[in-house]
This record gives sequence, structure tokens and C-alpha cells, in this order.
Amino acid sequence: MKETTTHAVIFGIIISSLCLALGGCTVDRETDKTGELEPVEVREYQGENLSSVDDFRENSIKGPQNVDIETYQLEIAGLVENPGSYIYDEVIENYKHYKKVVTLDCVEGWSVTLLWEGILVRDLLEAAGPLPDAKVIIFHAYDGYTTSLPLDYIMERDILMAYKMNEITIPPERGFPFQLVAESKWGYKWIKWITKIELSDDVNYRGFWESREYSNTADLEKEFFE
Amino acid sequence: MMRNTTGQGLVKKTVIWLLAIVTVLYGVSGFGITEFRTVETLTFGLLTKNLAFKIHNSLEIPFIILLLLHICLPFIFKWKGRKDVRK
Repeated sequence: MKETTTHAVIFGIIISSLCLALGGCTVDRETDKTGELEPVEVREYQGENLSSVDDFRENSIKGPQNVDIETYQLEIAGLVENPGSYIYDEVIENYKHYKKVVTLDCVEGWSVTLLWEGILVRDLLEAAGPLPDAKVIIFHAYDGYTTSLPLDYIMERDILMAYKMNEITIPPERGFPFQLVAESKWGYKWIKWITKIELSDDVNYRGFWESREYSNTADLEKEFFE
Repeated sequence: MMRNTTGQGLVKKTVIWLLAIVTVLYGVSGFGITEFRTVETLTFGLLTKNLAFKIHNSLEIPFIILLLLHICLPFIFKWKGRKDVRK
């Protein structure tokens, strides 16, 4: 009788162990099935409501651009000690990432408030080593658009070159791979599809809209027409 | 009395035509801002984005004044007409 009870107990332990092991296997299999989905844009950040990525109006000079990331190179040129070209992943992986909620105000009268994620332009420039003569940064875009900003503006503030907006990678029509987050400046300074960052001593340089009577300083508190 | 009515009609017509012209220019220049690529092509580069901005901004106040005149003039003339009849 005692022996039968002992057998029953051992049998019970074996069955329980088997059940637990099989249960564990099932959980593992479930974990293996977990796949990663495409990220979805966030519409709220730290209690602040955000605009949508679709709230922009398309107003680029040649329409949306599709930059081929396989051949893409970001060029740092002009008055720097170490000019060079970087592929997309090098830019993303070699520099610290930052997030910031910033509002873009367009001269057309609309605005969008988004969560931008990117690297600091200052970090990029510090790695390139600006020469003492450099006064102005000229940004070039894939569609031929250009704009410029004073070097001091970039070095003294935390100006982002964004690769994400609202936690999703910047879509092609919004400026993939990189868009400048030129806070406190009118929208025409927020250059999209950046391909080249050139340091120059030409303080009179005027970009695409600036050479068409738009203010070169583009300060938000001032009129954008000169 | 007859001359007065004709004068009033002329004023009304002038306001209507001016308002029509200003409204069309206001609309076209608005498109010249938001759809500048299309408008520049259609106007053979004549109406550029910054010209559209300048036209649009300068027409804002004239448009409001003409619209107010267009709404108010009939009432003003009616009121004036009643006053003249009383005299």
C-alpha cells in the first residue's frame, strides 16, 4: 500500500514536471513568434499634444524627393579641417541622439509642432573641425535647394539635424534622410533632404528663397520679407 | 432725385466691379503662395511666390473695405433716400 502511494507521488511529480516543461516550451515558442512591426507616430509627448506628420503642406521647390539610401552620402565640406562624406548609418551611429519638441512656422501661415529626434549639427561640425575663417554654414539639399545660417547660431544652440519625427523615420516627402530643425527661424530655413553641409566665410551668401527677397536672418519675431 | 439714384447706382456698380477684381486677384495670389509651382508654370513665371505674397498681403485691407461697402451701401442709400423724402 505504502509502495503504491510512493509510486503515485513519483508519477505525479513526473507528470507535473512534464507539464511545466511543456508549458515553458509553449511560452518560448510564443516569444519566438513575436515580430517587430513598423513604428507608429506618437501624437502626444510628455503631456504635450503633437501635430501629425501629415499636417505639413508640400511646398518644396521641386516636389517630394526620393533619396536612395544605398548611394546616399552626407558631405561636410568647405572651411573645415577634416572634410569628408558619411553614409546614413555612420551619421546615425557615430553621434549622440537627442529629442526635442519644436514648432515649425511656415511663412504661408501654417505651423506644426512635432517631436524631433536627431543629432546635433554642432557635434557633426566639431568632428569636422571648423577653421577660424568659417562664419556661415550653407546647407545643400538633394533637389538643389540651399539655405544658410550663421555658424554661431548652430554652435551656441542645440540645433538638430533630424532623422525622425514623432518617433517614426522621416518620410521621403518630409525630407528623408535628414531635415534641419532650425528652431526660432521661419520654415524656409528648415531644409529637407540635406546632402551637403558647407562651411564658408561668405557672410553675404543667400539661399534659394533668401535670394528672392526673403530675410536672410529669418527670425520668427520679424517679417520674412526684407 | 433721378440724378441721385443714378449716382448711387454708379457707386454700387463700381464697388461691385472692384470687389470682383480684388476677390479674383486675392484668390489667384493665394494660390500663387500655396501652389506656387503650378501657378508659376501657368503664368510663365510671371506670378512668382514672393510677388503673390506681396499682392495677397496688399489686397487684404482693400478686400475688407470693399466687402463692407458692398454690404452696407444699400442700407446707407436706403436710409439716405428716406431722409430725402422726409425733407
